[in-house]
Amino acid sequence: MTEQLIMLALILIKLVLVFAVVLSMAAYLVLAERKLLARMQLRYGPNRAGPGGMIQPLADVIKLLTKEDFIPATADRGLFLLAPGLSALTALLTFAVIPFGPTLELFGQKLPMVVCDLNIGLLYFLALSSLAGYGLALGGWASNSKYSLLGSIRGLSQLISYELAMGLSVVPVVMMAKSFSLTDIVMAQAQIPFALLNPPAFLIFLISIFAESKRTPFDLPEAENELVAGFHTEYSGMRFGLFFVGEYINMVILSSMLTVLFLGGWHGPWLPGIAWFMIKVLAICFLFIWVRGSLPRLRYDQLMNFGWKVLMPLALLNVLITGACLLGMG
Amino acid sequence: MPLLRDIKGFFPPFWITLRNMFRKPVTVQYPEQKPELPERYRARLVLTRDPDGEERCVACHLCSGACPVDCISMQAAEADNGRRYAAWFRINFTRCIFCGLCTEACPTLAIQVTSDFELSGRDPLKLVYEKEDLLVDHCGKNVEYSFYRQTGIGVAAPRGGNPNESAPVDVKDLLP
Amino acid sequence: MPTLTIDNQQVTVEDGTTVLEAAEQLGIVIPHFCYHKALGAVGACRMCAVTVHEGTFKGLKMSCLIKVEEGMVVTTDDAKSVVFRERVSEWLMLNHPHDCPVCDEGGECQLQEMTIASGHGVRRYEGQKRTYNNQQLGPFIAQEMNRCIQCYRCVRTYKDYCGGKDFGVMGSRNRVFFGRFKDGPLESDFSGNIVDACPTGVFTDKTFRFKSRFWDLQEAPSICPHCSLGCSTVPAGRYGELQRVRSSVNEKVNGFFICDRGRFGSSYANHPERPRQASRGQWKLTRDEALVQLDSKVRELIRQHGPEAVLLLGSNRASLETNWMLQRWAEKIGCRAPLLSAHLPRHLAAQVAAFDLADRLASLEKIRQSDLVVLLGVDPLAEAPMLAVALRQAVKKGGQVLAYDPRSIELPCVFEQQSMSPLQLLELLDQDKSPESGRLLDLLKKAESPVLVPGGDLLGAGGLLRVQKLAVVASNQTRSCLVHPVLAGPNSFGCGLLSLPEQDDLLTQLESGRIKMLVCVETDPLLEAPNGERFAKALSRLEELAVLDYLPTLISAHTKLFIPTSAPVEAAGTFVNNEGRQQLFVPVMEPRLPIAVTGSGSHPPREFLPEAPGSDPRPAWQLLQQLLGEEVELAQLRERMKTAVPRLIDFDKLQPGGVFCRVSDADERSCYADEISAQPAGSLQLVVSPARYGSDLLSRFSEKLKPRFTDACLQLHPQDAAERGLDDGMKVALKTDCGEYYLTLRCVEGVATGCAVVENGPAFPQLVPGGKLGFCQVAAGGRHD
Repeated sequence: MTEQLIMLALILIKLVLVFAVVLSMAAYLVLAERKLLARMQLRYGPNRAGPGGMIQPLADVIKLLTKEDFIPATADRGLFLLAPGLSALTALLTFAVIPFGPTLELFGQKLPMVVCDLNIGLLYFLALSSLAGYGLALGGWASNSKYSLLGSIRGLSQLISYELAMGLSVVPVVMMAKSFSLTDIVMAQAQIPFALLNPPAFLIFLISIFAESKRTPFDLPEAENELVAGFHTEYSGMRFGLFFVGEYINMVILSSMLTVLFLGGWHGPWLPGIAWFMIKVLAICFLFIWVRGSLPRLRYDQLMNFGWKVLMPLALLNVLITGACLLGMG
Repeated sequence: MPLLRDIKGFFPPFWITLRNMFRKPVTVQYPEQKPELPERYRARLVLTRDPDGEERCVACHLCSGACPVDCISMQAAEADNGRRYAAWFRINFTRCIFCGLCTEACPTLAIQVTSDFELSGRDPLKLVYEKEDLLVDHCGKNVEYSFYRQTGIGVAAPRGGNPNESAPVDVKDLLP
Repeated sequence: MPTLTIDNQQVTVEDGTTVLEAAEQLGIVIPHFCYHKALGAVGACRMCAVTVHEGTFKGLKMSCLIKVEEGMVVTTDDAKSVVFRERVSEWLMLNHPHDCPVCDEGGECQLQEMTIASGHGVRRYEGQKRTYNNQQLGPFIAQEMNRCIQCYRCVRTYKDYCGGKDFGVMGSRNRVFFGRFKDGPLESDFSGNIVDACPTGVFTDKTFRFKSRFWDLQEAPSICPHCSLGCSTVPAGRYGELQRVRSSVNEKVNGFFICDRGRFGSSYANHPERPRQASRGQWKLTRDEALVQLDSKVRELIRQHGPEAVLLLGSNRASLETNWMLQRWAEKIGCRAPLLSAHLPRHLAAQVAAFDLADRLASLEKIRQSDLVVLLGVDPLAEAPMLAVALRQAVKKGGQVLAYDPRSIELPCVFEQQSMSPLQLLELLDQDKSPESGRLLDLLKKAESPVLVPGGDLLGAGGLLRVQKLAVVASNQTRSCLVHPVLAGPNSFGCGLLSLPEQDDLLTQLESGRIKMLVCVETDPLLEAPNGERFAKALSRLEELAVLDYLPTLISAHTKLFIPTSAPVEAAGTFVNNEGRQQLFVPVMEPRLPIAVTGSGSHPPREFLPEAPGSDPRPAWQLLQQLLGEEVELAQLRERMKTAVPRLIDFDKLQPGGVFCRVSDADERSCYADEISAQPAGSLQLVVSPARYGSDLLSRFSEKLKPRFTDACLQLHPQDAAERGLDDGMKVALKTDCGEYYLTLRCVEGVATGCAVVENGPAFPQLVPGGKLGFCQVAAGGRHD
């Protein structure tokens, strides 16, 4: 009985911790992005709220919460209110299956460093990342504005196109790890990360997550200079905030997925597992920001061409070759 | 090889942004650090006076006609000596975009820009300047020009007494 | 119909067209100053040079003087003519001062435009500029001769076209001067036209001096509301103030010019005392409250006293829409049909014009082309000033003008006047009673296109019916004798058109005591109908009096319930002019207190308001729609009105600012029984004539026209004066049915014997023109106050 209680308490603590870490990471990623982008552009970035602008995220939250919550007169009210929540929620849920450290021994209990070790964790991730499309589609549709609608149409088609390549690029991983469970996949990389074993799959996945996170160079759904703000043009206040937070949580999650699937998860010399995991995730987040600072946006037809005519065939070919290699190696 | 070119072109931006991160930002930290403005900086507008100390503005409406945001309004009136002047003259600085087109349109050099750009406040009405607020006691950028000496009508000097004018003709004179 | 080529474009034009006009038809604007469509060309400015390649005269020619020929080839943009025009422009600018910023013409200056168009920019000549001393030309026109480019347009307009005598050109070589012989106000009643005609800023509108630039003005095509002619105008307002009126072009009516009454009589819209808020006595009301009160009071009185208890009163100042909506409202509440005029005789005359004369109406254009115009009891300068200019054009073309009138009338042309009392005038029209009738009929029958111009005020409905009979007799198979009746107000014809059987006299009705409530829409019976004093008495007995108006009239100051309406320049509407032309006008500006008032001369108030102060007035037809509870767009209202009044022209076919169309002919005839009361022995026939300025209420409330208002006087023929032992300049007592008045006597040769002429105007508003034939006694004495 007590064991079960302790178990429950530990799971709860784990949940709260993961929640807190992910959310604060998302908040500070915003700040980090603004600061890093600023430095790349020879500016300072936010430096007024707190020392070096450190409480800027808090100021932003207060600002967003106190802003007028505006709903356009012609909007589809129910869907309009639902969409941002959906966007943030699906992002948060994905984190349930991501293993962020080796199993820990605490009070005689084996404590896996994952909220829920599903044996089909990878499929769960793919499913939820597809669901995230709803937040975007509904937001754009419910706003009843041409910019929003254009943004969400672009977003959806982009999501569908790149999800295929992404799904195909993780097939070799599954084949190599012989499991859908993310913990098993990490364990399979104890010696050598899949990124080195199968670089094409890694690259395709990397490119796909950029598209999946709707960030430069694939930020067409919210292309400011064409569509005002794309699918969330009509949103204000904390509803916009939810979209915004969702986007950054998504960034953390996609970085984590990349770490788990290709960079060997928490494996690494000298440092504890959790630290390695964090270092890898943050490094990929930095990459996200760096790419945003360096690359321009693709044109829409280039984006589609690239997805369907380059990434998709490459990913398919990669599946075949990996399969052949695995077969050959027995 | 366009593909090769594309791949080659992919990397330099990353290097540039990375390099920039370790350079000193160029931002001027404004309220603490004052910016150095160019000499011909365009900010708050003023109405200047001519060398005789009279208002230069003749309320000709050319500035308000040139203004792309319609922030200038005025009403002309006639003084006893025949001078046309602005009975009231209003510039709404909440609208003004400091494009300086008014100063280019002004035929009397009355409206001129200054480099005082610190115009902000919480009460929009405080940014609506009337003639009293706009009129200054100097000639501004040109200390010689006086419109009424060039016009050819008898305000600054009697009719026919301005530079380059002959005395009024005698219309009843029939001499060839 | 020769075909010629201008700048590689072919055009076929009428014979006698000039190259300049032909180019205009192709949309090619050749710069010009001295040419004006109404004034013709004199070839003085040399600006319109073009090169003729094929034609009788080859080479560089003035396009305003060269008539088109078959197969002519002309270029306007070849190097030779372009350079020539640039030189001409430079030479015209030699003496022109650099005072555009302080010149009122700046922005609408033809000289500015043509100089830019011709390409001249920098003055190369370094000699001295010629200057002039200016003249004081009175309250309306400001002169600045330094700006003159000697195009002669002012003289051609003032003297040649409008017939002014006190303005001309003098001097020699480059000292040519346009002005009066000595300082003094311009005497012509059409002096304002030189402002429009002058291509630069020599003559500018003094009442508009330094008020606005052209590009800041709100302008819209409108119809002049000052007399029944309905000239096309373009009023212009800014900052809530109606600042000026300029003439518009309607070749069927006024042509290119307007009179000074229409031009300078516009400030009624910004009268300082103009009521702009609804009120009940001392209490201020909102517009909606006032309408609710009006509606409930009307219904309550009808319930208590029956449908006879409420009377609605329309007006010839109000638009056709307003008068028609008033009729609809009366139908809805179930009271009797509204009276559309407080002045019955004038209204009857308008009905005769609208029905009996409808098939032989002549426009002013017809008069300008006529070879015989007969004025029957009309003083054009007082009743319809642009008619006088039209008569001058007829005379200039070789026509003849005959005037039968009891007054001494002036015209800007040669004409023959026969002084005749109103009774003699009626006898003349009766054809067999007067010896003059035979001569008149002979002349009419011989003329090729005769036009009769009867005055509705003086002749009344009976006289107009006689004119109709005369016209029938004077007509033959080849041509019909046309009539151009002069009526009282801008919409007199329209009011007559709307109300055929209605014959009631407002005063009789009021005095009968059955009426408990009167609703006056844009009319003041105290000032606009005869017997103002009896009206005042009758009105005071009413239980309720409601006034909808835009003028600070007597009645709107003393009414119980007042609701402000918008002036013609602030509303859209329709006026039907004296020859049945259905003319639209559109709002020029929104009703509001001028900024000059709210800011008391200084800058506008520094406060944010959702609505400008004084913006309560609405068009009367809109208020009536609200009362009826059917608020529809103006287009829909007009469609319904057209269906209900089939004689109207389809409103879709009319364009504001166009030439418009005449309403269609009538099948019905007015039913008017004529009675002429016998003249009491020793009495004089009373002729009440409108003053040239200030007789209509709009010009009376126009501040700008004050300098032209005249003093009240009584005019008698010297012989009549001598018989009574009276001398010129004496104070005399005038006894009429309406009361006794004390006036200064003036002996005038031209006045018909047996007549006493008084002018209705601001100085003497008691007697209103157009009443029934009246008689009076004139005696010496009277108070000297």
